[in-house]
Amino acid sequence: MSPTFALRLAARDGRSGELRLLLASIVVAVASVTAVALFADRLQQALLAESTTFLGADRIIGSSRPVPDAFRDAATARGLTQTDTVAFPSMLFTSDAADARNQLVSVKAVGEGYPLRGVVRVAEEPFALGRVVDTVPEQGEAWLDSRLFPALGLSLGDTVAIGRLQLRISAVLVSEPDRGGSVFDLGPRVLMRVEDVPASGIVQPGSRVSYRLLLAGDTAALDGLHAELEPALAPSYRWRGVKDSNRSIGDALERAESFLLLGGLLAVLLAGVAIALSAHRYARRHYDHVGVLKTLGATPADVFWGFLGALGAVGAVGVAAGLALGAIVHFGIVAILGAYLPVALPAPGWRPLALGTSTGFICLLAFALPPLAALRNISPMRVLRRDFQASAASQAATYGSAAAGALGLLFWYSDGIWLTLWALVGSLGVSAAFAIMGLGLLRGGRVAGMQAGSAWRLALSALQRRHRESVAQITIFGLAIMLLLVLLLVRTALLDEWRAQLPADAPNHFVMNVAEDEVAAVQALLAEHTNYNGRLFPMIRGRVTAVNDIAADEWERQHAVPSMDGGHLRSERNLTWSDALPPNNTLTAGDWWPVDTQEALISLEDEYALEHGLDVGDELSFDIGGLAVQARVANLREVEWDSLQPNFFIIFSAAALPDFGATHMTSFHLEPGAKRFLNQLLSEHPTITVIEIDAIVRQVRSIVERVTQAIELVLALVLGAGALVLIASIQASHEARMREHALVRTLGGTMRLIAGALTSEFAALGAFAGVVAAVGAEVTTYILQTQVFRLGYAPQPWLWLVGPAVGAALITLVGGIGARRLVRSPPALVLRELR
Amino acid sequence: MAARQDAGDAATAGRRNGNLTRFAPPLGAAAPDVKDVSTNSCILQAQRLRKSVPTAEGELVILDGVDFDAAAGESVAVMGASGSGKTTLLGILAGLDLPTDGSVWLDGDEISALSEEARARVRGRCVGFVFQTFQLIESLSALENVMLPSELRGDRGAKEDARAFLERVGLGQRLTHYPRQLSGGEQQRVAIARAFASRPKVLFADEPTGNLDTGTGKRVVELLFDLNRDSNATLVLVTHDATLAERCDRTIALDGGRRVA
Ligand SMILES: Nc1ncnc2c1ncn2[C@@H]1O[C@H](COP(=O)(O)OP(=O)(O)OP(=O)(O)O)[C@@H](O)[C@H]1O
Ligand SMILES: [Mg+2]
Repeated sequence: MSPTFALRLAARDGRSGELRLLLASIVVAVASVTAVALFADRLQQALLAESTTFLGADRIIGSSRPVPDAFRDAATARGLTQTDTVAFPSMLFTSDAADARNQLVSVKAVGEGYPLRGVVRVAEEPFALGRVVDTVPEQGEAWLDSRLFPALGLSLGDTVAIGRLQLRISAVLVSEPDRGGSVFDLGPRVLMRVEDVPASGIVQPGSRVSYRLLLAGDTAALDGLHAELEPALAPSYRWRGVKDSNRSIGDALERAESFLLLGGLLAVLLAGVAIALSAHRYARRHYDHVGVLKTLGATPADVFWGFLGALGAVGAVGVAAGLALGAIVHFGIVAILGAYLPVALPAPGWRPLALGTSTGFICLLAFALPPLAALRNISPMRVLRRDFQASAASQAATYGSAAAGALGLLFWYSDGIWLTLWALVGSLGVSAAFAIMGLGLLRGGRVAGMQAGSAWRLALSALQRRHRESVAQITIFGLAIMLLLVLLLVRTALLDEWRAQLPADAPNHFVMNVAEDEVAAVQALLAEHTNYNGRLFPMIRGRVTAVNDIAADEWERQHAVPSMDGGHLRSERNLTWSDALPPNNTLTAGDWWPVDTQEALISLEDEYALEHGLDVGDELSFDIGGLAVQARVANLREVEWDSLQPNFFIIFSAAALPDFGATHMTSFHLEPGAKRFLNQLLSEHPTITVIEIDAIVRQVRSIVERVTQAIELVLALVLGAGALVLIASIQASHEARMREHALVRTLGGTMRLIAGALTSEFAALGAFAGVVAAVGAEVTTYILQTQVFRLGYAPQPWLWLVGPAVGAALITLVGGIGARRLVRSPPALVLRELR
Repeated sequence: MAARQDAGDAATAGRRNGNLTRFAPPLGAAAPDVKDVSTNSCILQAQRLRKSVPTAEGELVILDGVDFDAAAGESVAVMGASGSGKTTLLGILAGLDLPTDGSVWLDGDEISALSEEARARVRGRCVGFVFQTFQLIESLSALENVMLPSELRGDRGAKEDARAFLERVGLGQRLTHYPRQLSGGEQQRVAIARAFASRPKVLFADEPTGNLDTGTGKRVVELLFDLNRDSNATLVLVTHDATLAERCDRTIALDGGRRVA
């Protein structure tokens, strides 16, 4: 058979509508992948771009030592933009001789071009919203944090001293992008020029200085630089990217990625099922066709290549249309959501299009090829004896190929064996379980049907009679409905979780350094003006010196798990004590101590314990302000870091810390308009420290909002693919169903009876599918939320109503539309068309 | 393609030379009505055909030691009661199915020993079919159905050829109509046009009038015999109709899978 003949065959089939469903399935598969991938790609780029503002750069190299020029030269060679920052704590002195005041500040000295990502905001008065500037302070000038102005009685134009350096205050610093890090370690910020640092005489060997080289440029160059410098980085230099920069943003991004991935995959797999169904139907409708071709001299090879050619042609048309449709859908989404997206979306890469194209062809080969390839084995005897059963595609080949294709796609999208295996085991298990449940429901339904009216009796016995197809359909519908329910549940859970973590009144300011005798006054002020939760935590600084009498460094060498966080066991930490487990904390091991315990006990944050190889029962030695303190680990806690409540890695029992002179801290929420309260607070208590994180909270919020939109989009696309599966699946059993009902009509059944029976049949099928879907959704959601997203899980009783109801409604609707014409037309015509 | 043509040419040349040794099967001793093969251009010959299928109740024997032959241009009717094995025999003779035992020679090839691939080539080269159930392809128009054989062979001028054959069967005005828009008789005429468009040496027809009323059936039969005479093809015709059988050169009869006449 010549290739052109194969194409002609495909074209004639296409014209007669034989290929329509197959084509539609491919178009939907490709379109949904392409649209999701295009949007996700751009959104992710945008999210990444926005997240880079937390670093002030795309990547940074950080160290407590100056960054060597070799690093700079290597970055220049790769065409990367770069600038330096140097941060150190220092005393800031006012130069008002009459009322000389001072305050510990955190100085950040920056170079020309800072920041490489994100913006600096300044204002002319403290606690104003400020405006964006694209400059840095001139040499000899400094920009100061709002809270320094009331605390030190300063105003713009005054002069302050840092070491031997005199600096003129030229602006109020509202925010700079890379303020993050551990907010608790920060004093109020002073921004100055890196060129002025030597003149201050502050930075000496041994002083606590953090040097950073900020880098920006294209990802390939950055990755190349990373690879090149890797050997030279350890142990003194740390390379940091976006995801390391902020725990909660990193988590949010990762969850968003897995969710988009999951959604895209579901859409493809659903479309794959639709492709398989329509290819089977197409093949079945061509048994006679092939028989005739064979009597006319077509060889098995002719048949194989002919249908492969036809499939290729359909694939090419489908993929092209799918890509176009995907792009259109994606532009539509961008147009709709564009108004809500504060960042401009970068141009998409080529990857989404490649992904769409290969997905289309992989789907075709995996899902559609086996039944079509099996056509070559059709016996030509079929033209003489209809009962010459087509040796249809062997089940093993069909399912094996579909599973291989699905797994290949899974593996490719996720490039993770873990998710792939889960999906394999999951889908096999779920299908088997669904089939068994479906069979049970059919049996039960038939018994119940005996008591029902004639339409129902007809419907249920028809379902039971075709129990193979019915079970297959219940399984497929069940899977589709389950996927939708799971997606809905997971989405709701994710959003609720995020919203709960960041409620509108989440704390956005910390107050620290509150002395013992100021606690009552500060508490009164906060109670009057804010929503703070009524508790100030004592806080002292200290470091771990030994574990079970092994020196901390030695212990770390033996036990530590390398971590992104990178803190050392012996680093100085903020410590507190408490007789109750703080809110937002949950015990994961051990017990909380009794209120009046006299033992020296500590409670550790569980990831901190894990990273440093610590567990309940270990004896830790601390150096707290020069005093040695010993305490035993009594329990481990999980901490909601995103809650922005005061949180501590290490909490002591009160008995363990006798009368250290601690300061106190807490967090509270302030509306943007109420920020002037800080002036009052700081004027009345000049020695306390206020840390503003409202800008960061706003940023996290906007990211969460956008992720939400992306998730809703994916949900809509998966819904579309699911509907397609329903249509394909109903189409697949269409002929058998119609022939039966046409016969019933020739035997005297009324149109009403048939319509009733058909409706009942679809409704029963849908309801059964809904029941199995509800079971599957509960189990899958449980696994996903506890294992993948690490969220809590609550059973969803409403599933058991919504699942069957939605199933029945959907399938009755879709099936009813398809069957309407045939119910109305005279039975003779039906029989003739179905011949 | 080239190989196929070579085979065809060789076959034609062989027959013209009267050199039939290549095609003659080694004859068994006691085939009752096998004519003198050395003088007869025998295009289709079958020996001791046996066909059995496994069933739930054990082996079911459908054909039991059937011999058959037909000379070029001859027409042979196959008669017998329903279930006697006529259709099964036809399928085996045409190379659509394989016998359990015995051999079939068609136009010089022992098709009972060929693979499906090779049998398909033989069918494409020299066999045409007309079926009781017409077997037109629903998604193709009348013209396209008739074009199929030439297209499969990759011949040029398939369309003109097909148009001519449809005109010959009186359907020149219905070229673009689809099978479901045609009556049974019209569909069978399209099927006949398609059968002759493949320029067969042997035409197999399985109850071609079985689904038609008497009048229509008569016209279809006329057409079949006319075209057959013009193309000088061998005709193997399965039928229940004695008057139809009488129009053939010869009749054989089956009963319970055995040849009785
Ligand atoms: N593949 C098969 N499996 C089982 N039984 C078969 C098979 N093929 C044929 N038979 C049986 O063999 C017998 C002969 O069938 P065949 O179709 O050849 O009869 P026929 O003479 O053409 O009958 P009719 O005149 O009704 O068309 C029948 O009883 C049929 O049921
Ligand atoms: Mg028959």
